[in-house]
Amino acid sequence: MDPILRTSGLGKSFGHFAANADIDFSVAPGELRAVIGPNGAGKTTFFNLIAGTTPVTTGTICFEDRDVTRTTGHHRVHLGIAKAFQTANLYPDQSVLQNARLAALAHVQGAFAPQLLRRSTRLGRVDELACNALARLDLERVSELRCGDLSHGDKKRLDIAIALATEPRMLLLDEPIAGMSRDEARKTEALIRKLATEMTVLIIEHDMDLIMGISDSITVLHQGRVLATGTPAEIRENAAVQEAYLGGHSEAELHA
Amino acid sequence: MTSTTSEATPAVASPRTGLLGADLRFLALTALGLVVFPFALHLIGGYAGLATQILIVSIATIGFNVLLGYAGMLSYGQSMFFGGGGYLAAILLLHTMPDHPNLWLAVLGATIVTTALAALIGALSVRLYGIYFALLTLAFAQMVFFIVEQARSWTGGDDGLQSFPNALLALGPWNVDLQTPLPAIALGPFGNLGDLKLWYVFAAVMLLAVLWFVRALTRSQFGEVLDAIRENEERSVFVGFNAAAYRVMAVAIAGALTGFSGALKALYDGTVSVDSVGIERSGSFVIYAVVGGIQTLFGPVIGTGIIMYLENVLSGVVSYWQLIEGVIFVLVVVFLPNGIVGTILKRSRARKTLLASVRVK
Repeated sequence: MDPILRTSGLGKSFGHFAANADIDFSVAPGELRAVIGPNGAGKTTFFNLIAGTTPVTTGTICFEDRDVTRTTGHHRVHLGIAKAFQTANLYPDQSVLQNARLAALAHVQGAFAPQLLRRSTRLGRVDELACNALARLDLERVSELRCGDLSHGDKKRLDIAIALATEPRMLLLDEPIAGMSRDEARKTEALIRKLATEMTVLIIEHDMDLIMGISDSITVLHQGRVLATGTPAEIRENAAVQEAYLGGHSEAELHA
Repeated sequence: MTSTTSEATPAVASPRTGLLGADLRFLALTALGLVVFPFALHLIGGYAGLATQILIVSIATIGFNVLLGYAGMLSYGQSMFFGGGGYLAAILLLHTMPDHPNLWLAVLGATIVTTALAALIGALSVRLYGIYFALLTLAFAQMVFFIVEQARSWTGGDDGLQSFPNALLALGPWNVDLQTPLPAIALGPFGNLGDLKLWYVFAAVMLLAVLWFVRALTRSQFGEVLDAIRENEERSVFVGFNAAAYRVMAVAIAGALTGFSGALKALYDGTVSVDSVGIERSGSFVIYAVVGGIQTLFGPVIGTGIIMYLENVLSGVVSYWQLIEGVIFVLVVVFLPNGIVGTILKRSRARKTLLASVRVK
């Protein structure tokens, strides 16, 4: 099957520092791929390049056989790439429902619509998409609350709901369970498993239990480069991966 | 592929009747306020012409508020649209219709050009934020100021333009001279109806239309997205909004309202001077809007009214009016950061919430 996302020779430099270099990466449609690596390995930079948050220095990105290397971030969302941020990135003064509605509105109306007089409430599908997204993250109970007043875990879940309200074909999750309580993390894990049956999911996470348990395959980044790609079992046994992790992390973390 | 699905969605009708009722009530109450205003102003020592000027200049402040209040962009160059609108209207009258001066053609022509200029400047400065955006708009305004000052044959240079024809308002078969006074009826302490010219009625209708438009704008789909972009631009881009396009549109709308206001002001005054494209003019919109309250519909009108009234009354009495103006600005920023209207709205909302919570108990 053709990969849904493929990067070739992808690189990002900040001055002389190469945060990402020579990344050849491909994901099959419907795959749940984890991107792991020690701190500073360039995982978040890699996600930023795919989502279009930062411009690429070298190489190309293809999404569904379309070259999106120079495509703007907002346009990539309309192509089907959505991202949940490492630190929940929300509209703190709006209600929880309105946070999801805005994402749904962008999806329904497109990148720009000069509707200077008509209200968005006439677009029935906006509320439907928003409510469905909130329901999937179990956030209906707080939909009328001000988003800034949510707990940390609910904020992270709302960020995922916002991404879902755009009906993505590929979802980028940057440390989705970081800082969540054990209970919330378990619920979120179940949700990610479910989402992976409907769309392609790329996930950055430090929690090795989660990664080893849910991923179809894993790509390990080290010092901005791809160190290894394989199934969880292969990655666990990979000598180079163990070596890289011993720098900052214990071996037990990998075998946990 | 994803966006095509939306077109098949049937639009759900909103509860119309309630909305229409609210619209009518808004228009009726605002119109009532505009009818009372010049007579109340007379009571506290403001002359009739000042009432008209306040309404006209308010339109520019409303445009500035669309930019600062709703888009979160501080422009320090609105004078290029305000003065630009005035000069363009005057030049159109002088050079294209000296024999049949038509107010609509002059004002709308000027407005279209300032809107295009604003869209251009918006497109050039949309990547800049905060102080950098303010400085760039200031730089553009200074360029316009320089051009106006140097292009003597068109603008009269430092002398400005005075002797342009009095434009008539074409209304169906009639050509109305807005300089015509209203019928003389003595109203005791409230002055005389005859002190007002038809200009006041026209300015009031225009302001009413602009208020209705901006009220609808802030509740519209466009306004909703503009709010979102102001609150979190990064998130707005990564749900799929073209934030830059929205910001350019906001600059263009502000440029349109400001140019419209400047053109009306020039025609009302019968003169336009280089001050109207100057840096102080730009600063005045900042002061009016902040004193009245940004992000509120009536704040810009109230702020314009209060400052223009005080300037008019006090500058005749004391020579240090600008010092007083500065002190007022500082006091409002420090003690009423939401401005006068913003503070009142916040208090009344807080009281309503409090009452509601008491009732629940």
